[in-house]
Amino acid sequence: MRSLTNFAPSTFEDRGAAVAFTTPVLAQTRVRKDSRDQLEVLIPNLSEGRGIYVVPWKSLPLAFPMTVHDRMLHDLIAKSEGCSPDDIRKAVLEAARCGLAGPHAVEAAEAALGDDEEQRLLINYQLIVEALKSAGLESTDILRAGLASAQGQKLTRDLMSKAAHKLGMEPTELFSRIAELAGYLESIGLSSSPKPARLRRLMRDLNGFRDSMTEWATGNVSEAAPIGGFCAEVAEHTVNHARNVMTQLDQSVASFETLLRQWDTKRLLVRKAATRLSWLLDGWEFLIVLWSDAVTRSRHEQDMAVHDIFRVIPLLPKDEARADQVLAAEKLLQSNRRSVRAYVDWRSGQLDVDLVMRIETIKGRAA
Amino acid sequence: MDIKDLIALGDKLLYIDEPKFRQIVELLEQMGDHPDIQQTIAVIRPRMVELRVHRRPTMKRLFCDPFEDLFETFGKNDPLPLSVIERALMNSLWPVVEAQIGRPKLKAYHGALQDGPQRDNLAEAFWVEAASVVAALASNTEAGRFDDALDLRLNPDRVRAIADIAMIMSIAAEIRDLKAVLSPKPVSKLHKDHLDGIRDLGRRVARARPDALKIFILLAASRLSNPSALLGGLHDMDFGQKPTERAKLFMELTDTVVGQIEDRSRSLKATPDAQADRLAVADLAVDLIASLDATRNAMELSRNKAFDQRLKEVRGSIHEMVRSQILDNADGGIVGALTAMNGGVNDRAQILQAENQARALRKCASIADSLGLRGELKTVTQKATTSLTEQARKSLGGGATAGGSRTGYTAIRMIELLSGPAEANKLMDDILNGGRR
Repeated sequence: MRSLTNFAPSTFEDRGAAVAFTTPVLAQTRVRKDSRDQLEVLIPNLSEGRGIYVVPWKSLPLAFPMTVHDRMLHDLIAKSEGCSPDDIRKAVLEAARCGLAGPHAVEAAEAALGDDEEQRLLINYQLIVEALKSAGLESTDILRAGLASAQGQKLTRDLMSKAAHKLGMEPTELFSRIAELAGYLESIGLSSSPKPARLRRLMRDLNGFRDSMTEWATGNVSEAAPIGGFCAEVAEHTVNHARNVMTQLDQSVASFETLLRQWDTKRLLVRKAATRLSWLLDGWEFLIVLWSDAVTRSRHEQDMAVHDIFRVIPLLPKDEARADQVLAAEKLLQSNRRSVRAYVDWRSGQLDVDLVMRIETIKGRAA
Repeated sequence: MDIKDLIALGDKLLYIDEPKFRQIVELLEQMGDHPDIQQTIAVIRPRMVELRVHRRPTMKRLFCDPFEDLFETFGKNDPLPLSVIERALMNSLWPVVEAQIGRPKLKAYHGALQDGPQRDNLAEAFWVEAASVVAALASNTEAGRFDDALDLRLNPDRVRAIADIAMIMSIAAEIRDLKAVLSPKPVSKLHKDHLDGIRDLGRRVARARPDALKIFILLAASRLSNPSALLGGLHDMDFGQKPTERAKLFMELTDTVVGQIEDRSRSLKATPDAQADRLAVADLAVDLIASLDATRNAMELSRNKAFDQRLKEVRGSIHEMVRSQILDNADGGIVGALTAMNGGVNDRAQILQAENQARALRKCASIADSLGLRGELKTVTQKATTSLTEQARKSLGGGATAGGSRTGYTAIRMIELLSGPAEANKLMDDILNGGRR
């Protein structure tokens, strides 16, 4: 076990990616790779104690009773090669689609995959339009013919060949650059997109979370109020960082011709920014829905929700934040001790059915 | 916006977005105490409670402050007070109190609505004056008569409620302190500081107004998530009364608590709906058994057998409720949803209902022993588990990717909800990995 301050991760990879488990004690715990490239899971504040338990991934089912859904998710993550937020999301959606977390989770996972597909098409089309625009060509004919039709595809190929010629590169090279760029921007989308993509929506929701939490904590006499204030502060820092990265990305895409011409240097910047954005916003989706669900409940439940959020809040790593959030969280923890939350029935060790059901409901809305 | 337009919106106000809703509540408050506005507020009150809309402090609100915990509740999960006061009665009572005290004099109390050192003293003075007005009114009430001043027909409940309000107003200062002790509402578990606070304030009430002690305790109970939990704590609590008075008070309170448990168990019996939400029934049964056990323990501590028969009857009706509304045909409902799914029908509502049936059965495991239903529950659970296991083996036997795997996984999930994750995980390992992990 390591203390919160000793643990204090320096990079996003050290912090790990959040996993949407439905077992209450494991919900939103983080997975990362250890020095030997083996997966390990970080479980914070077990029995409200200080510090973080680091458990090898393989031993997790032996250490904690898990729901069947979580056992499947555990297997899928173990089989997949990476543990980035995108890798984890893929495994989470695959596990949810099986039906082991209930019909709501199935629907949410299928809707999320459908949305991904829609965004993939949209970003591809928008990038083609940008490429044509930067070569001074019109794209309205493609739309008129229909992007999916044979005529539309032929027209696209012809126009893109012209654009490649004007930009001084091979058509195949232009196509491959656009495909690569679409891959980076799939979850972010363009600022001009008619339907904001997942991470843009998430950033907007995080803004709302910060406002709602700030309003709740201001003038509140509850013991959880300072913790709520801290959560709002972490959200604020995250939003600010995410906004900077997003602006940087939007600027790169706005000068599309330069991006294509200086591809070798610019693509690295775009890739780095896109990866950073997905790490920055990782783990917030569940917390935002958890809070929006709690605001309609009793004050006691709101206090409990704030403690639950604090337990797994995605603190910015040392390299990212100017202020040391981990140190601030540790101080807050010391001055706000409270009774232990029972995640299992203390007499039988069985999982709390109501708590699992609540996590599944939130999961159904946050996929 | 015109008042008529606002009122015409009616229950549409329940669905507009939150900022607009808050704006409209503010507008309605500024428009005064018109009956149409009161009606609109009554329609939207559940949402106001849900959103915890901050209301403008008014003299009427200050008047209600001591007894507001006894108002009827909206949400089905909110604890019901042990003694209920209708909002309609309060709405009729306030104009009478306002007229009797007189507007100029009321104005002098307005300082009680603002923060500052004057607030508490002015509030207490106002409550004392309001108490005398309501007490005078209460002494002239008679059940069955139409009261012109209140513009209401007085039934026994209303006569009792007016007397209660008069009593509560006379101990309003103690109630204010009690609310601070039992905060935030609802208190889910009574700790020593809660009990000490109730005892100290109760002693103050017993010295000044011994007859108000019962309503004081009922108000304290109404701030708990399980009002009967207070009975256990009351047994040792010394309010400084004579032993006979203490025993009498305890008996009266037990009578009220048992009466409420009886009412709640009867309410479900009165509507034997075959489509009742089994999980809600299970939650209620668990809740009622907890209240029943708390009451029985308090009775055992006081070696009192007066309520034994009534408690036995309540237990009997909970037994019947669980047997007929949860256990009856539960296995058929759960397995039926899977069969429909196997036939290509993906009826989400049916699956959700089956999941709730499974959860309800699992919840009942904690009360089955005390209701004498262990055997029946075991039979139903085993029957369902056997069918589900067969279904899972059939659907997943050809590997996880074979067609129909969703049905197989859903069957495993149902087993998890029925018997817990250990058994479900074992089955999944058995089917997919031949028992290896």
